[in-house]
Amino acid sequence: MFYLRLARGYRVLDLGRWLLTALAGAVVAAFLLRALGRAMSGPADGHDALVRLLWCLPPLAAVAWFAAVAARAVPARRADRITGLTTAGAGAGRIRALIAGEVALACGAGAGLTLLLFLVLRNDIAGPGLADELGMGVALPAAAPVTLLALVPLTAGLAAAGAVRPAETLPGRSGAEPTGFGPWRLALPIGLAVIGLALELIALRPGAAADGRPIQLPAGLGSTSTAALGGWVASAVGLALLTGPLLGWAGRLLAVGRPTPLRLLAGRGLTAQARRLGAPLAVLALALAVVLTTVRYWLGEPGSADVLPAIEAALVLGCTAGAVVVRLAELRTARRGVAEALLRLGAAPRLLFGAVVLRTLMTGTVLLVTGGATAALAAAGLR
Amino acid sequence: MSAAPPDNDVLWARGIVKSHQGTPALRGVSLGVREGEVLAVTGPRGSGKSTLLGCLSALLPVDEGEVWFNSSPVHTLGRAGRERLRRDRFGFVGSEPHLVPELTARENVALPLLLAGAGGKAAYTAADEWLERLDIGDLAKVRPERLVQGQRQRIAVARALAPLPPVVFADDPTAPLHRETAEQVLRILTSAARSHQLTLVLATHDPELVRYADRAVALLDGRLTGPATPVPRGIAAPGTAGATAVPAAGR
Repeated sequence: MFYLRLARGYRVLDLGRWLLTALAGAVVAAFLLRALGRAMSGPADGHDALVRLLWCLPPLAAVAWFAAVAARAVPARRADRITGLTTAGAGAGRIRALIAGEVALACGAGAGLTLLLFLVLRNDIAGPGLADELGMGVALPAAAPVTLLALVPLTAGLAAAGAVRPAETLPGRSGAEPTGFGPWRLALPIGLAVIGLALELIALRPGAAADGRPIQLPAGLGSTSTAALGGWVASAVGLALLTGPLLGWAGRLLAVGRPTPLRLLAGRGLTAQARRLGAPLAVLALALAVVLTTVRYWLGEPGSADVLPAIEAALVLGCTAGAVVVRLAELRTARRGVAEALLRLGAAPRLLFGAVVLRTLMTGTVLLVTGGATAALAAAGLR
Repeated sequence: MSAAPPDNDVLWARGIVKSHQGTPALRGVSLGVREGEVLAVTGPRGSGKSTLLGCLSALLPVDEGEVWFNSSPVHTLGRAGRERLRRDRFGFVGSEPHLVPELTARENVALPLLLAGAGGKAAYTAADEWLERLDIGDLAKVRPERLVQGQRQRIAVARALAPLPPVVFADDPTAPLHRETAEQVLRILTSAARSHQLTLVLATHDPELVRYADRAVALLDGRLTGPATPVPRGIAAPGTAGATAVPAAGR
């Protein structure tokens, strides 16, 4: 009841967050229940069932990622609510539990709806096409769906709880956060990217063995070799980790020399936000690169496209894009005070808008470089 | 009927009424600010000091009444006109420094000059000079998050003074500061205003700090309690006597 009363005060963005969490939870639950249904109706072969369960991991991770980013944004976005709760006597732990509980509740609601649909469909409503997927005609062990579906709210809730910073739930926090990147934070991604690139180049050298691609990847990601796959994974992770520092450098580049107010505000703003903005953008770029590689394969070989990987790709893209939107909204709220101070100084709103446009252009360029490089390496290595 | 205001008043307000979403903040305030004076506006929290300064400094449009600056009307200006007036003619120090966190101290101070269209070199040179004058020259390349509140507030003062605006508004600039730092900030502000013949409108909740002003008015529940009264010189602590006297600087 408490959550419902809190939810009444929600605005569009919060409701969207709730709905996306519930929808994503529902889809992941559908994947899990389908794996259960196939396991019940198929032969008692553990390998295929395990593979199907493993396929549920990427969407589950995507939901957890979105839940974490969204939960992290709540104290900044709804500072008044956190202040109210703190004044009413809720400690940091209680607030963390409240935020995580809200996410878990949304996921649980979605999963519950899917379970309802699953049970209704099993009741001889679905045609023979779906009979295998639902495990029709086989008695359903009650513990199985409950255990599987508890996984969804539990994972999302734990991710959310882990993401909330207790210090930020306190009203009147300083708001100062580190903006730079330590030496290790720079050396690691550069090293990973270089090693990955070298590995992939070695695997793809002209003189490589003709049957050098023994690994058959699922869902149209093509075939590859251990070295090429390892090299691509290393370079993709390296490039993703490098997104934040690259954004910071792009900001410095914008404000180089004796900048005009437009370049100064855009550049320094980008450098200051690079840490916060880098993570969700890097994840989105990585997901996009993988999905685009798959889609390219589907387009190249008619009949290779499949419904389930397509749904999975849409879910992962939706969650990662949602995470970016939530983070942008969080940053916007955090910068409201700065914008007010600038307007107070007599800065024209057009100048602030121009700074945002310039910042967006620069961010887009960085993402094109990292995402494009990841996609190009994937296209070369996974074929 | 709107008679033109007296010539010796740089700012002149008549019958200002202003409310925030139905809550009345000012209920008919009339006030004249003389050129080059330090005018203190006192009153407890919630008495309407901030709103009065907001209306006088062209930040908030008035609901009723008139505001004139240098014999030209402010209350009839649109948003863009008020913006231009704030940028080119007014300086402002709030009770919080409200610095741009990602800019260094000198960039923060140079910002109003840059916004007003000054060249980069001139703006940064002026910023360095002001930081030097306020004893924080060695912090020019530090971002505000690494500074203590008193240093941040001094940067905010430098930012307000650097373009040498004809009128500087200070809305309870000492609210978050300890007494010692508060006195120092006020001394800097008033002595800089006096040495550059700037007009300073200073709102404060602390009646003791009135001694830095030439004249004082008191606000209570959105109304002035009486006309502006001169502050007796006996208790005044003019900045020129202080140790941190600000040397005159040409623009």
